[in-house]
Order: sequence, then structure tokens, then C-alpha cells
Amino acid sequence: MGKKKKRGAVDKVWCYYCDREFEDEKILVQHQKAKHFKCHVCHKKLSTAGGMAIHVLQVHKEQVTKVPNAKAGRESTEIEIYGMQGIPADVLASHYGEEDDENPSKAAKIDLPLSQIGGGVIPRSLGVGYPPQPLPPHYNPRIPGPPGGWQIPPRPQPWYPQHPTVPVPLPGQAGLPQQPLFPVHNIQSPVPSTATPGLQPILPITPPGMPATAPPVPVSQPLFPVVPNSNIPPQSSPFSAPIPSMSLPLSSSSEIKSAEPLFGGTLATNHYGIPGTPAIPIANSHSYASGPNTGGPSIGPPPVIANKAPATQPATNEVYLVWDDEAMSMEERRLSLLKYQVHDENSQMSSIDAAIDRRISESRLAGRMAF
Amino acid sequence: MASAPPPSTGRELLSPPTDGISNLRFSNHSDHLLVSSWDKSVRLYDATANALRGEFMHGGAVLDCCFHDDTSGFSASADHTVRRLVFNYNREDVLGRHDGPVRCIEYSYATGQVITGSWDKTLKCWDPRSSSGQDRSLVGTYTQPERVYSMSLVGNRLVVATAGRHVNVYDLRNMSQPEQRRESSLKYQTRCVRCYPNGTGYALSSVEGRVAMEFFDLSETGQSKKYAFKCHRKSEAGRDIVYPVNAIAFHPIYGTFATGGCDGYVNVWDGNNKKRLYQYTKYPTSIAALSFSRDGRLLAVASSYTYEEGDKTHEPDAIFVRSVNEVEVKPKPKMLPNPAS
Repeated sequence: MGKKKKRGAVDKVWCYYCDREFEDEKILVQHQKAKHFKCHVCHKKLSTAGGMAIHVLQVHKEQVTKVPNAKAGRESTEIEIYGMQGIPADVLASHYGEEDDENPSKAAKIDLPLSQIGGGVIPRSLGVGYPPQPLPPHYNPRIPGPPGGWQIPPRPQPWYPQHPTVPVPLPGQAGLPQQPLFPVHNIQSPVPSTATPGLQPILPITPPGMPATAPPVPVSQPLFPVVPNSNIPPQSSPFSAPIPSMSLPLSSSSEIKSAEPLFGGTLATNHYGIPGTPAIPIANSHSYASGPNTGGPSIGPPPVIANKAPATQPATNEVYLVWDDEAMSMEERRLSLLKYQVHDENSQMSSIDAAIDRRISESRLAGRMAF
Repeated sequence: MASAPPPSTGRELLSPPTDGISNLRFSNHSDHLLVSSWDKSVRLYDATANALRGEFMHGGAVLDCCFHDDTSGFSASADHTVRRLVFNYNREDVLGRHDGPVRCIEYSYATGQVITGSWDKTLKCWDPRSSSGQDRSLVGTYTQPERVYSMSLVGNRLVVATAGRHVNVYDLRNMSQPEQRRESSLKYQTRCVRCYPNGTGYALSSVEGRVAMEFFDLSETGQSKKYAFKCHRKSEAGRDIVYPVNAIAFHPIYGTFATGGCDGYVNVWDGNNKKRLYQYTKYPTSIAALSFSRDGRLLAVASSYTYEEGDKTHEPDAIFVRSVNEVEVKPKPKMLPNPAS
């Protein structure tokens, strides 16, 4: 691509690891997952290169030092790339042949969802039209997160400018050296919309004794258990906090939700559980915001959450989804295997076979049938 | 029956299918169990006698089945056909076809119609009383936003869950358009949807170890009762392994429900108290389907690898029928006032 000018949606996105270009970011992410973030042992697709490296280390006990299928100089597993996010400014610039870092639109775009969330580190999934890719928590851990707050990463290229609400107020943070992945932007009320509609796992707790959580404890754990989900039961408590009190701009919450896994329709979550309050437990936002990467308070959840136990922060556990293919169900995959193929031409044969089988079973069952 | 106590998993059915089990259902009239399988068969068992009573072969994997009454049933196959199966005479005929694999099938006693959902993104209603042949029995075709993944009926309501996390709620008396067009509250792919026996809502499970409890009443009060919970997860070595929740089955009398996941466990939950009541001993492999008998005394568990990790060697697919004890499924007295009320 010769002249890369931020032209918003028209520009093509490209892969940091191998420089290939794609029509839109969704396809780019799919490509990255399949080519760069895929475990070479079990073929599981992770969400980032770093996540893949950790997976290979923990599960297969092997060390991965280079990103598969990457060009020289782009093989580090340390740098956090997801779609177009995380690409260092200099690399971006050289790709396009010109540096352009004051277009607020991209930032806005990313911000949008973020703002709703009130900042925090929201894995790019937010707002970025992403398709059904659940943002694996793997991502979070590594996010460098904007130190202390939300800076809007100057995105040189117009990325998805279609966000209507581009928050103009984005002060051109053009100078940001490091791309903070979560351009959270002026969030006044970081309403961390809870990432998850779900409630905290109230259930796993042994029956007796969870009364506290019984009522609408909307606190739901973010979908990505980035948060210390592992210890769910106890955790619930903090989350059970009277969310209702949070009456932050709920609307944002919904946004956040959407960010999560693919489908934008998170709105639904808003209805979740919280009696009367559209707001979603901030907790969730925490999870995102804090992400594992948070080195601590710096990224921290937006100031909002007062009653949320920061427990969410140290995203400790990596979350491994046994079935992570959002595009197809297990049955569809299974049916695509050769042994299950059903061809139309064969349907005639099948009915003949079926007739034969039927006759066989009839005779077989004749002896057994009681009636 | 042996005098020895049944194994902790329940009694294993003899002559199980030779490949994975896609679904199993108890009859509303007896303890007959209808089982559909990837080995292209639908089998009818007498669960108490532990005997195979009938077998019907199809042109492709059978993805779902249901009873009509104790003498006949219906099946949904990957070979695109919807078939009626007459048990006594071991006869079957094709009621109709879809343009793609038929994934779900239900029979509505209220309307006397068979409803099927397919990956061809449509729902079709059939009248089984007409003579067979697609043209005669097809009552209507209703386009869905995406491929149909799961369906459930209660009274006059039908809930359809599709790919893309869409959920359509229909009133069977007026199928021209959905009564409600919703989206799953869960962020991940929908696995299974089941209506509460009391008809007030439905439970929906996803591939991300989570179940959402939803209500049809769209008012503020109605929606305030909804919630979701995590389940079928395992935490080890610093990571959380999250399993798809493949099956949900409601106890016909108590209204509590069991969930089965790829982790091989069956959990029983009390939806009102939001607690888990019981967890059965782990089964050899993933739980593909669950069904309570009409009196709630038996629970059929299909322990059948669901290919969540591709084609690989796995424990043999089996069906276990266990007797259900009251303590496992009976809700405890309420500890707190029900916020919903």
C-alpha cells in the first residue's frame, strides 16, 4: 500500500508479524490466531503470541522463543499484538511510509468503548468490531496498560473511524511512545460495565451458606476470568457487594460488555441481575482494566469502583477454553469429518441402505419384541 | 437385576450405539428411552428392563430425537431428513427435509405439530397426521438469524437458540414472527437451551462453563430475577479450564435441574436458591445429553465424547441410567426471601 493516509475504514489492516494485509481487522485477527498464535503441539489457538508461549510452556513444557511464521525482527513473543493493536509506532510508521499520529478518530474508535467502560484496560476487543473471538485473558496479562490512567494511544492509522461518538476530547496524545492498548479516554465515570452478565458463580459454592449471594448479586465476573476467578466462591463475596449502589452511567457498561466477546450485543447484560440498576458491577471492568498486566495500581480500575474489591486485579489465572471456536459448534466440526460425510448423491444409496438395515433389524428384533 | 448395589455412575445400558450419542429422551408415558446417535441410528430402550426394543437407521448421523407417544417418535438427521419412527412395526418414513443437517426436533402436544431446527437457518413445522412427503406435511418455514443450535418447548412457547448467540422466543399459536427476539446474555457460543417446567423462563448454557437463567417476562421485575453462574470448570496449575456445558435437564417435579459438561460431571442445581444441590461421580467422558424420566426417579446420562478436542481416542460411548435420590434433586427450604417475589 503506497500512500497510507488515515482514511478511516478504507485503509487495510495488516499483520505485524508477517506484513500481510487484510480487508478488516476481524480477518486479521483470525489470521493471527491461525498462523502466529497457534500452539504447534496441540493446535490450540490462543489470543496472543505471549499467551501461546505460556500455553506451550505450561501444557507441553516447552519453551517457545519465536512467533511462528513471523518475519525477522518481528518474532518476539514479548510484544503484545492483537489485530492492529500494540504495533509500535515506528513499525507502524514505516509500514505506511509516513507518520501520522494525530488522528483522533482511531483513538476515538478504540476509546469509544473504552470510555464507556471508563477506561481501564480493555482488551481491544472492545469496540473493535470483533468477531466472535473471545478475548482470552491471555491477552490481558501482558498489556502494558496506560500508566495510571487512560491515555489515548495515538493511532496513526485511521482504524475504525466509524465510531459515532468519537470523543473529540482526546487530547492528541500523539506523543505516546508506547501504544497503550487501552485508550481509555476521558472517562468521567468509568463505569466499568461489568464485563459479564453473569453473576458470580454463586452456585459452585456448597449449598449451605451462601445466602448472601442469593439475591441479585449482579456482580458478575467478567467473562474472562482474568480476575481471580479461580477462587470463585469466596470471591463472590466481594463481588456481591451491593452493586446497586453503583449507579454509574450504565450505558457504558453495556458497551464494555460488547467488547468482550464478539457480539456487540452486550446490552443484554445490562439487565443482568442488578435489581433496578442498569449499572453493572464494576468488578468486571476491573478485570479488564486491571488485566493481568497491571503491574499493580497503576493501571488499576477506574476510580469508580469503590466497593469493588480490587481482587479482580491480579489477573492470575489464565483461562483455557476447551472449545474456543466461536464460528462453529462441536457438532458442525464433527460432521465435517470425512467419516460423517453425507453426500446428496448418496442419499439415494442411503435410503436403500436404510431399507436393507431396516429389514435386518426387523428380523433381529422380531424375536425380542414384546408386542 | 443384580442384587449388588448399582455402580456410582448408574446402570449401564446394554447394546448402546456404536458411536457418539447426540441426544436421549425419556418418554412421557413410560420408562422408554429414545436415543439418537452419530452411528446413524435411533434406538429405543426399555430403561427399567435394560433392553433394546427398536432400532432405526438413517442416511447420516442422527442429531436429535423425540417421542410422539409411546408408539412412535421423530428424528432429526444430518442427512437433512425429518423422520417419523413407528416403534411397534419398526417402520419409518420421511416427514420432510431441510436444506441442511437437521439439528433439533420437538413435538408439541399443544399444537400436535413437529418442529425442527436446522443449520440451514430455518425452523420448520410439520403436521405428522398428514401423509408423509414433504409437501403434504410441511406447515410452515421460519427463517432464523443463524444456524439453529438448540430448542426447547414448554406449553405454547418455543425457545430457539442459534449460532451468533441469538435467541428467538415463539408463541406456537402465531409463528409468523417471534414473540421475542433476544440475545444470549452469555458472551460465548450457546450450547443448550431448556425451558423451566413452570413455563416462566429458560436456562441457557454456553461453551464457556456458564449457565444463564432467563425469564420470559420482560418487565423490570421479571428481568431482575435473571442471573448467570459459572460451572463445569476446573482450576489447576494456575489456570482455569473451562468446559462447554452440553446438556441441561429439568426435574419434572421439583423444577431443579441437572447440567452436564465436557468435564464429565453432572451437577444438580437449585435455580431459586442459586445453589448446587449435588454433583454425581465423574463419568468416563464428556456428558452429551441428560434426561429425567417422567416421574423424576431416573436420570439417563449419555457419557459420550463430544469431539471438543477433535477426533481422538476416547472412552467408549455409553448410556447410564441412575436412580435419583430425593436428596440429590430436592430443593432445600429457602434461606432468604426470594428477591423475585
